[in-house]
Amino acid sequence: MEQKEKGRDWNQRLNALGVMFLAILVGVIGWVELAQPFGIRFRDFTGGMVTFDTLIRIGILTIVLVGLNLLMGYAGQISLGQAAFYGIGAYTSAIMTTLASRHGVLPGVSRSWWWPWLAILVGMGVTGGFAYLIGRPILRLRGNYLAMATLGLGIIMYILFREGEDFTGGNDGIAGIPRLAIGSFKIWPIERYYFLVWAIALVVIIIALNIVNSRVGRALRSIHGSEVAANTMGVDTAKYKSQVLVLSAVLASLAGSLYAHFQALIAPTPFSFAASVELLVMSVVGGIASIWGAPFGVALIYVVREVLRARLHAILHGAGGEHEMIVYGIVVVVIMIFMPEGLTAGLAKALRRAKRA
Amino acid sequence: MNQRVGVAKTESKWKLSRELVGKGVTVAVILGVIAFVLFLGYKKHFETRHYLQLAIDGIRGGSIYALIALGFVVIHSVTGIINFAQGEFVMLGAMLCATIYHSDLSLPPVLKLALAIVLAVAATTLIGVVLERITIYPARGSPVVALIIITIGATITIRALALLAWGTRAKWVPAFTTLEMEDLTFRFGGLIVKAQSFWIWGAVAVVLAVLFYFFERTVMGKALRACAVNRRAAQLMGISPSRMSLLSFALAAALGAIGGIVLAPATRPTYDMGLILGLKGFVAAIMGGLVSSPGAVLGGLILGAAENIGAGVTSAGYKDIVAFVILILILLFRPQGLIGGGERAVEEG
Amino acid sequence: MKRLFSLALVIAVLAILVPVAGAAPPAQGEEYIVRAGDWLSKLADKYLGDPMAYPAIVLATNKKHGEDATFAYIDNPDLIEPGWKLWVPSAEEAAELVAAPKGTPYKIGFAPSVTGGGSFLGVPERNTAEIIIEQLERTGGVVGPDGVLHPVEIIMGDTESKPDVGVSLARRFIDEDEVVALVMGSLTPISLAIAEVAEEAEVPYVSMASSLAIITDPDTGEMRPWVFKTPQSNGDVAAWQVERLQKLGVKSACYLYENTGYGKDCFKNSSKAIEAAGITTAYSDSFERTDTEFPQVAGVEASGCDVVIVGAIPPGASMVTIALRDALPDIPIIHGHGVCTEDFITTAGAAAEGVELPCSAVIIAEDVPGDHPQKAVFMHYKKLYTEYTGEPVSTFGGHGWDGLMWVLDALKSLPDGLTLEEQRAAVRDYLENNIKDWPGTAGVFTLSPEDHYGLTAESFTWFKVEGGKWVPFPKEQW
Repeated sequence: MEQKEKGRDWNQRLNALGVMFLAILVGVIGWVELAQPFGIRFRDFTGGMVTFDTLIRIGILTIVLVGLNLLMGYAGQISLGQAAFYGIGAYTSAIMTTLASRHGVLPGVSRSWWWPWLAILVGMGVTGGFAYLIGRPILRLRGNYLAMATLGLGIIMYILFREGEDFTGGNDGIAGIPRLAIGSFKIWPIERYYFLVWAIALVVIIIALNIVNSRVGRALRSIHGSEVAANTMGVDTAKYKSQVLVLSAVLASLAGSLYAHFQALIAPTPFSFAASVELLVMSVVGGIASIWGAPFGVALIYVVREVLRARLHAILHGAGGEHEMIVYGIVVVVIMIFMPEGLTAGLAKALRRAKRA
Repeated sequence: MNQRVGVAKTESKWKLSRELVGKGVTVAVILGVIAFVLFLGYKKHFETRHYLQLAIDGIRGGSIYALIALGFVVIHSVTGIINFAQGEFVMLGAMLCATIYHSDLSLPPVLKLALAIVLAVAATTLIGVVLERITIYPARGSPVVALIIITIGATITIRALALLAWGTRAKWVPAFTTLEMEDLTFRFGGLIVKAQSFWIWGAVAVVLAVLFYFFERTVMGKALRACAVNRRAAQLMGISPSRMSLLSFALAAALGAIGGIVLAPATRPTYDMGLILGLKGFVAAIMGGLVSSPGAVLGGLILGAAENIGAGVTSAGYKDIVAFVILILILLFRPQGLIGGGERAVEEG
Repeated sequence: MKRLFSLALVIAVLAILVPVAGAAPPAQGEEYIVRAGDWLSKLADKYLGDPMAYPAIVLATNKKHGEDATFAYIDNPDLIEPGWKLWVPSAEEAAELVAAPKGTPYKIGFAPSVTGGGSFLGVPERNTAEIIIEQLERTGGVVGPDGVLHPVEIIMGDTESKPDVGVSLARRFIDEDEVVALVMGSLTPISLAIAEVAEEAEVPYVSMASSLAIITDPDTGEMRPWVFKTPQSNGDVAAWQVERLQKLGVKSACYLYENTGYGKDCFKNSSKAIEAAGITTAYSDSFERTDTEFPQVAGVEASGCDVVIVGAIPPGASMVTIALRDALPDIPIIHGHGVCTEDFITTAGAAAEGVELPCSAVIIAEDVPGDHPQKAVFMHYKKLYTEYTGEPVSTFGGHGWDGLMWVLDALKSLPDGLTLEEQRAAVRDYLENNIKDWPGTAGVFTLSPEDHYGLTAESFTWFKVEGGKWVPFPKEQW
C-alpha cells in the first residue's frame, strides 16, 4: 500500500514537472518569436518546418485530445465521432459571430467584443447538452457501442453541416469570422493567438490531470478495468461515463470555437468522419492511457506531416501529395507496431528501463 | 460468486421488460417511418413502380454492402479488429480487374474478362495476406485499438498508392453479359433492371453458398468458426490463431474483391471508391451485430433498399443520413443485431 | 518512358546532324526569323556549333524582348513558331550570357488538391505545373525588362482537399518560403480560406476554383485587392443554358448536381437564371460522385419536366447521364462545363450522345479555326499536356496553366532589385492592370480593378456530343 502511495506521489510530481516544462517551453518559443533575442527567431531552430500556424493547430487539437483520452483511456469508450462535437462548437461560434453581418440580427450586441466569448460558452453548453442527451441511452449498453453510435452521429452531424445551406453555408462554409478581442485589445496577429490557445490548453491539461488523480479518476479507471466489477463495488458506471462524455464534448467544442476564430472560415471538411478518424489516430499514437498522450500524439502526427510536406520532395524527386500520404500511412503503421500503447507509454517504458540500468 | 449471480438476474429481468417495450417502440417507429415516406413520395407524385424501382436499385447496391459486411464480420469475429481497409479491397478488385482487362493481351474478350476477374481476385487476396503478415502479425497481442489504427494507416497508404498507380481518371469494366460498356436493359412494365444486377445478385448467392459450405463442411472453416466463438479455447484445441487471422484477412480481401468486380461494370471505378463503400459495409455489419454472417447480408440488403428509397423521397444529400439513423436506431433498440448473437461482439480484446 | 524515348530520338537526330553542321558562328549576334521546320537546337548547332547551346539563344532573345517587343519571348524551348524574330548571339556573347550574374530568384507557391475529394481537379493541375517547372528549368527562369535573368522556383504542395492544410501551406509559403505569389486551391472552401490569409499578408493570390465569392469581399461586395481567379464562373454557364432552354421552348426543367461545392454552385447559378427566365424548376436534387444507384431518376420521371440540366464532373456526371438515358431515352440533357473532357465521353459511352453544354474550345483544339484568338494556346497546352501525361486534356489543368502563366508574365515585367514587398505589390498591380485581351485556356481574359476574373459568357462555345465526339453547335444552328 505504502509502495502505491509513493508511486502516486512520484506520478504527481512528474505531472507537475511536465506542466511546468510545457509552460516554459510554450513561453520561450513565443518570447523568442516576439522579442527575437540576438536576431534569433523560432524558425531558425526548425528550419522553417514547424510554423506558428502549426503550433496553434497542435494546441487546439491538444484540447480535443485531452477530452478524447479521458474518454478512451480512462472510461474505456472509443469515440469515432469526436469531430462532430468539435464542429458543433465551431459552427456555434461562427454562426453567432457572423449573425450581424449576414442577417443583421442584434447588430448592437453582436458586434461587441464579448459576444464571441459568449458564443464560445454557448457552444460549450449546447455541445455538452447534446452529449448528455445521446450519452444517457447509449452508455447503458455495454462494449464498444459508443464507438458505433458516435460514428453514426459524427457522420449525421457532418451531413447536417454540409446540407444546412441557410445556417452553415453548405460546402463553402461561413467566411469572415472575426478575431477574438478583449476590450479593444485584439488577440491577433498569430503570435498573440498562439499564447491564448496554449494558455487554454495548459489549463485544460491541469484540470484533466486533477480529475485523473481524484476520486472520479479512480472510478473511471475501475470502469476501464472491469465494468462489472466497478458496478458491483457501487460505482455508478453509467453516470461517470456520461459525465466524461459530456466533459470531452465540451472540450472539443471549446477547441472548435478557437479553431473557428483562428481559421476565420469554416467549412464542413474538418468535421467529417475522416477527421474523427485522424483524431483517433493521434490519440492512440500519443497513448490513450495518459493525459500527456494528447499533446504528444498531436505534435508527433503534425510534425511528421509537416516534415513530409516540407522535405519529402527534396529527398524524392518529383514526390507529390500521393507520396506524402503513402509515407504517412506507413509511419502510422510502424509506430503502432513498435509502440502499440502509444508514444507516452513507450517513452515511460524506456525511462523505466534507463532508471533500472 | 453470489454477487455475480445477482447481476445476471437483474440484467435478464431488465432485458425482458426492455424487449417488450423495445418491440412496441420498434413497430411504432417503423410504421411512422413508412407513413412519412409515403407522404413525401406522394408530394413528389411517386407511383408504386417508382418505389419498386428504388427498392430494386437499392437492393443491388445493398448486395455490395453485404459482401463488404461479410468481410468485416469474418475479420472481426476472428481477431476482434474492425478492418478499415475493407473498402480498399473492393477498390483494388475493381481497379485491378479494369487494368488487366484493358491490358494488351490478345485474347477474345470473354477469356480476357474471365482472366481479369480471376487475377484481380487472386491479387487482392494476396494483398490481403501480405497486409496481414506485414502489419497485423508483427503487432499481434497489441490492444485491439492499436490494431484498428494499423488498418487505418494501411488504408491511407493503399489509397495513396492507388492514386499514384492509376491517377484520378475513372476506369471501366465491360458488362458481363454484353462484354461492352453498354449493358442489356430489361424492362418489365415500367421497371428497369440491368443485366449486371442479376450478375451481382448471382454473385452474392454463390458466395453465400460457398461460405456456408466452407464454414459448415470444411475443417478450416470450422476452425475459423471455433476461433470466432472462443479464441482461447480454440488455441487450446491446437488451432493457430495467427493462421486463422491470416485466413480471415484472405477471405475478407477475396470477398471485397468479388464485390468490387461485380459492381465495376455498373459504375466507373476510381481510386477513392472504397471509402464510402467500406463505411456502408461497416454499417451493414453492425446491423448484423458484427458477428453474424446472415445478419450482415440481411443488413446490407435492408440498408441498400432503405437508403435508396429514403434518398428518393427526400433529397440524395440526406442519403447517408438514412443509413446512419438506421445504425443508431439499431444500436438503441436492437444492439444484438437484426438476427441476434451480437452479444459476443462485446468481448474485449 | 515517353520522355526518355523522345530524348533518345533527339540525341539520335543530333548525332546524324553534327557532322553536317558547318556555318561559322557570327562575329556579332544577328536577327533570325523562324522558318517552318526550325527548332532551337538545330539553330544552336548551326550558329554556335553546339546543339546543347540553345539556352543561349533563348536567353538572348528573351533579353531583346525586354528592349524591343518585336522580338519573341520564348517560354518553351520546344515551341518556336514560324515568323518569330529571334536573336542569335555570337559565341562570345553566348558565353557571356550564360555566365552573367542572375537576379534575385522568384518563388511561387503552388498547391492544388492532389489528394482527397478534389483530386479529380488537383491532379491535372499538378501535372500542368510540372510541365511549367520543366520549361523553367530549361529556360533558366524569366528575363525582366532590364535583361536580368531571374530563376523561378515553383514550390509544390498538396492541400489534401482540406481548408486547414490549405491555410497552413499558404502561411508557410508566405512566411517561410517568401513566395512572390500564390497559385492554390482547386476547391471553393479552400480558396476562400486562403484568400483571407493572402489578404492579410498582402500577397497576390490566384485561385483555381470557380466561385465568384472567392474574389469578392463578403462584407462590402467589392473585389478583394489581392485575390484573382482563372476558371469560368457558373453564372456565365447559366446564361448559356438559359438561352438554349428558351430556344428549345421548355416550360419546366429538372436539375441534378453533384454534392460538392462545384455542383452546388452550378445549381445555385442555374436555378436563379432559369427562374428569372420564367422556366420552373420542377425537380432538383444532388448526388454523390461515387453513387451507383440514382434514385433521383425516379424523381425526374415523376416530375414530368421537359429537360434535365446536370452540374457535375466525370465520372459522377457520366453515371447520372447513363441512368437518365436508361429511364428517359428522349429527354434533352444539358451539362455544365465540368464535363469538358474526353473522359466524359469515354466513361458515359453511348449515353453521352446528344448531350449539350457550354465549354472552352480547348477540347477541340485542332478543329478551332486558325484565326481564333486562343488557337495558339490551345494547341500548345494540349500538345504539352498529352505528351507529358499520356492523358486527354481537361479544362481543370488549364486553370493551373492560366494562373501560373499570369504570374510568370507579371514576373517578366519586374525590374531587378525590388524588395519582396515591392515584388508582391508589383505582381498584383500587373495582374490587375496588364492582363488585357490575354488568351488563356479558359478564355480571353481582361482583368481590371473592378473585375479580378475577366471572362464573359463569350469565352464559351456551345457543344454537342455526336458520334462520340465533341462537335461545336453554334447558336445559328439551334
